Amino acid sequence: MLSTFERLRAILVKDYQLTADDVTMESNLESLGIDSLGVAELLFSIEDEYRVTLPPEPVDLNTVGEAVHYIDALVAGRRPAALKPLNAGHSPSYTSAVGVHAQASANLNALVEATAHPSASRVQ
Amino acid sequence: MTRLRVAVTGMGVVSPLGDSAQAAFDAAVSGVSGVALLNTPFAHRLAAPLAASAPFDPTVHFDSRQFRMLDRVSQFALVAAKQAMAQAACIQADERGGYQPERCGVFVGTGMGGTHTIDEGYHSLYGEDSDRVKPFTVLMGMYNAPAAWIGIEHGLLGPNLTYTTACSSSAVAIGEAWLRVSSGCLDMAVAGGAEAPLSFGSLKAWEALHTLAAVDVEQPSASCKPFSKNRSGMVLGEGAAMLVLELWDAATARGARIYGEVVGYGLSTDAGHITRPSVSGQAAAMRSALHSAQLVATAIDAVNAHGTGTTANDATETAALKALFGAHAHLVPISATKALHGHMLGATGALECVLSIMAMQHCVALPTMHLDSADLECDLDYVPNEARRGVCVRTMLSNSFAFGGTNAVLVLRGGDQ
Repeated sequence: MLSTFERLRAILVKDYQLTADDVTMESNLESLGIDSLGVAELLFSIEDEYRVTLPPEPVDLNTVGEAVHYIDALVAGRRPAALKPLNAGHSPSYTSAVGVHAQASANLNALVEATAHPSASRVQ
Repeated sequence: MTRLRVAVTGMGVVSPLGDSAQAAFDAAVSGVSGVALLNTPFAHRLAAPLAASAPFDPTVHFDSRQFRMLDRVSQFALVAAKQAMAQAACIQADERGGYQPERCGVFVGTGMGGTHTIDEGYHSLYGEDSDRVKPFTVLMGMYNAPAAWIGIEHGLLGPNLTYTTACSSSAVAIGEAWLRVSSGCLDMAVAGGAEAPLSFGSLKAWEALHTLAAVDVEQPSASCKPFSKNRSGMVLGEGAAMLVLELWDAATARGARIYGEVVGYGLSTDAGHITRPSVSGQAAAMRSALHSAQLVATAIDAVNAHGTGTTANDATETAALKALFGAHAHLVPISATKALHGHMLGATGALECVLSIMAMQHCVALPTMHLDSADLECDLDYVPNEARRGVCVRTMLSNSFAFGGTNAVLVLRGGDQ
């Protein structure tokens, strides 16, 4: 079974016309030709390849190694270290972060419901 | 006001008639149609599965990295602009032929922008119940992507503008570029249009308007029949055409080959009905174009008609030509090349501009194909079914009229006159 790094390297080699030797754990993404738009595209590919759903927070990936750790954390259900905080007060644990997101979604859903059906549900 | 002369020094084409200006012109002269039955997975769900598709292989022009950033409309635009710039050879790698990049602009018309990207995104969200779309959806779908990519590719730092006035978009783009170059605001401009409207969603939207032609079952390639009594509508086409416009004196000073000249541009708005064309509006645009060129109507030797093949347009355009030209209308050869390349919407005016310039160069009046049934309402000389060679055509009008009522007309001359 291929490792996370090997699978990621295959994506990078295919999408950016690199050779396998170009890509190491220490490789800087920018130096491989992967700018901020490229990272956005890479995240899309990671969702497909590893069958994970990315958390909504912005992510700060600079090297191939950071991307590998990011993917490994997602696959294991842990909060990836590369995530930037959603806001200053939230818990650093991934489970808690998901909880924060779920609560925010629940509040948003209630607001949408109240807007769509103002007589049935009133926002206090 | 006194205007500076503006030369056309480069022309590029991606079209249903071929991937160069010369190929498209040769097909138009020979009456070879780019219209065919669609061979796509969704074709059976169309009432009239017809289109004029461009035989275009993007892998020849773009590596996979570029390809993933470019909607089909931007691919067309980039390839056509590259051809035009190569032909003009006005900007070398290290030397810009005396042009400051800040004085070089890009003017592109497109009616529908990145339709394939938008279609794919909707399919993903609604058809596949996905919660995400591709990361470059905004960048590929936005209307100014074709112009932006041309600016990036060629390092043109002046105005980078996109015009979307439906079927007159690229005539407007060329006209607006001409205004800036002829007034001395710019030294050079890449101007034209691009359109890629053959996505399922777009075809269905056009089908819903009931303006598309029925299939000619005996000869599907002849389904678009401008000015013919049995015309039933237009056929959508795809592609791009780009021109390099330069100050005439600068172009001649550097020894550039001059293919043609833009000498006038007129605009009018119907401000009446969102789709129904207006005789007075179309005539006003032609009159305005003649005025800007400081020409009288009898100076016009030929016309490239808007000639869509719809019942409403062709009768209205004929009446507008008569209103403008009077008796001279019957003496002017009128060509409707959409019978062959289809209606390329925001790109069609630019392709017809290219074909008109080449027709003048080659002393030929292009044929209006599939005109097999006379219509009392359309009784002018449409050059039916066969090119007319040896015709001395010095000055032409190229008409582009649009849903929304924006009528745009270019006045063109052949080169080196």
